[in-house]
Amino acid sequence: MLEIKNLHVKIADEDKMILKGIDLVVPKGEVHAIMGPNGSGKSTLAYVLAGRDDYEIVDGDILWNGESILEMEPDERSAKGVFLAFQYPMEIPGVAGLTFLRTATNAVRKKRGQAELTTPEFMRVVKERAGKLNIDVEMLKRPVNVGFSGGEKKRSEILQMAMLEPTLCVLDETDSGLDIDALKVVSEGVNALRDPARAMLVITHYQRLLDHIVPDRVHVLAHGRIQKSGGKELALELEQSGYAEFQADAA
Amino acid sequence: MNVAVIKTKAETTLSEGFGQVAERLPGGADVQQAREDALGRFASLGLPHRRIEEWKYTDLRNAMKEALPVAVADEAKVTIADIIVALGPLAQLDAPRIVLVNGRYRRELSNLADASSIAVEPLSQALVGSDGAAGLLSDSGGDNAILALNAAYVTDGAVIDVPAGATLEKPLLVVHSRAGVEPRFAVGRNVIHIGEAATATVVEVFVTVPGSATEGQVNTASEVLVGAGATARHVKIAVDAGKVTHLANWTVEMEKDSVYRGFQFTSGVGLARNEIRATFKGEGAKLDISGIFLARGTEHIDTTLFVDHAVPHGESRELFKGVLDDTARGIFQGKVIVRRDAQKTDGKQMAQALMLSEDAEFDSKPELEIYADDVVCGHGSTSAQLDDDLMFYLRARGIPKEEARALLIQSFIGEAIDKIEHDGLREALAEQARIWLLGVGV
Ligand SMILES: Nc1ncnc2c1ncn2[C@@H]1O[C@H](COP(=O)(O)OP(=O)(O)OP(=O)(O)O)[C@@H](O)[C@H]1O
Ligand SMILES: [Mg+2]
Repeated sequence: MLEIKNLHVKIADEDKMILKGIDLVVPKGEVHAIMGPNGSGKSTLAYVLAGRDDYEIVDGDILWNGESILEMEPDERSAKGVFLAFQYPMEIPGVAGLTFLRTATNAVRKKRGQAELTTPEFMRVVKERAGKLNIDVEMLKRPVNVGFSGGEKKRSEILQMAMLEPTLCVLDETDSGLDIDALKVVSEGVNALRDPARAMLVITHYQRLLDHIVPDRVHVLAHGRIQKSGGKELALELEQSGYAEFQADAA
Repeated sequence: MNVAVIKTKAETTLSEGFGQVAERLPGGADVQQAREDALGRFASLGLPHRRIEEWKYTDLRNAMKEALPVAVADEAKVTIADIIVALGPLAQLDAPRIVLVNGRYRRELSNLADASSIAVEPLSQALVGSDGAAGLLSDSGGDNAILALNAAYVTDGAVIDVPAGATLEKPLLVVHSRAGVEPRFAVGRNVIHIGEAATATVVEVFVTVPGSATEGQVNTASEVLVGAGATARHVKIAVDAGKVTHLANWTVEMEKDSVYRGFQFTSGVGLARNEIRATFKGEGAKLDISGIFLARGTEHIDTTLFVDHAVPHGESRELFKGVLDDTARGIFQGKVIVRRDAQKTDGKQMAQALMLSEDAEFDSKPELEIYADDVVCGHGSTSAQLDDDLMFYLRARGIPKEEARALLIQSFIGEAIDKIEHDGLREALAEQARIWLLGVGV
């Protein structure tokens, strides 16, 4: 279970407070969606979960399976099952996709006390999981994400997720930049990972994604706080009304 | 001319100590005369210092306080097993080799069985051979003090002659190894002639036999003539660990339609000065000189290039990548001259450094001197730190900090390493870089 308690976060070098007291619980087996206006702090929350150090935790705590992860390095969190699919996946020139996937997979397997995959084992697993996401293994011989289209980058994130077998999946606008078919493929990939042992936090602007990945709960994040929570129908309401009602709450 | 008025201790030792070893240096009377002439030029020039423009960033006169005893007729005990250990990843290479220990050719350690298509002779033999032997000791007009010093003291090396049309299938290793507990000044020289339409790969390797003195001085020179339509691949790997001063001069001349691909890999050396002078003699030649320099601690690696487009239709490419940690210093000076007649010259140069520490320093001085009007030339230089965002991305994927750093550094130098076309050699160098990376602190 993910428990976020009274989380206050600011940018490390500035005074600007971005998250101003987030309380959120995502039990295992559930998928929660976070929606909210641009600049409301959604990606910040995602980064803080993954352990990016540009931010300062001013107050509050994040517990994953009852254990605070705030002091953990990003790679430790990854070994504990935390995975962030980036809103803007980065290009890594000079590092072949397969090398990257294999290094990452075996690093977390090692830390989790699982046997590292041999090259043939790894290739078999990659081929199978990439295939399901319509990713050609030839593409993975190229440097990570270099020259990939926006949609290809997003699919490549989900492949990384499938390989690392995380238990807390945070997806930051994985749907943006995807065409209708790719959205389906990616959603199927995500749904295949839905599991009683996994919790998922899906950040999105569009109801459309939630037709494919049906959430258990929807939360509205605005002005650094969860302003409203509800069932999947909340996403439909937002589609109609927008975020106007939360602007007023700002003060 | 820069005349050093007051000689330093090292300069005095080098100028005045010659008499004591002269008799034991190989060569007949004419060679001896050439040596003395070169010594005279060195004596008047002195060791280069920072007031000489080309040595602005490498004050050798100040850095090289003492001259170690020149290794002459050195008999250090070294076995093939020692050489294999010293070669590290390069030992895996399926390649004929000529081995020198402390500047002396060692037949029992060499193996030239796979080099029968070409002629390879130790320089020490060539110098006592024919009448024209003194020509092997040229020092390019005489304003290069290090090259003059080399001509005066050189003990051995490889004279490689690839006959016209011949192809040397495997790379030929010329191994310059340091051995023995006594620190020495080793002076070697290679003379490489690639005949018309011939093809060959020559790899100079500078290594230390384990258990040797940590200090050492090396002066090495290579002269390469690439015949018309010939292809020469020429690599220097200086991983001569310790407080070693490594002074290298390469002189390259390219005939019509020839291809020259040079590469220099330097790591773990205390102070290195790699000077390369390449001249386009014939039209339509293609040149690529690239390399990697990895330095930490107080190490200092200077790469200074002169590319002379003397004739039209030449193409030159240079790509150097450096990784600098601690208070290490990297220097890249690249001067490209395009002479008035050298129309249609196409030249591109890039030097990039990755700084792992705030105290490391990278000095880059690209220079283009263009006298022709119809040319395409460009150069650039960058200096950057490891990208924090990329580090976070890798670590968010479970890759530990050290491994993430190593991956990013490898990816940075990869573009340069990829210039090496020979698979085994490229992999050996990638492995050599990984070995260096293991020592990168966190
Ligand atoms: N490293 C940073 N430096 C400065 N400002 C930052 C930084 N990271 C985030 N911010 C600011 O914090 C606020 C929240 O940004 P965040 O990216 O979390 O928003 P978001 O909800 O993900 O928006 P979007 O829907 O556009 O993706 C914004 O005003 C943004 O400019
Ligand atoms: Mg965002």
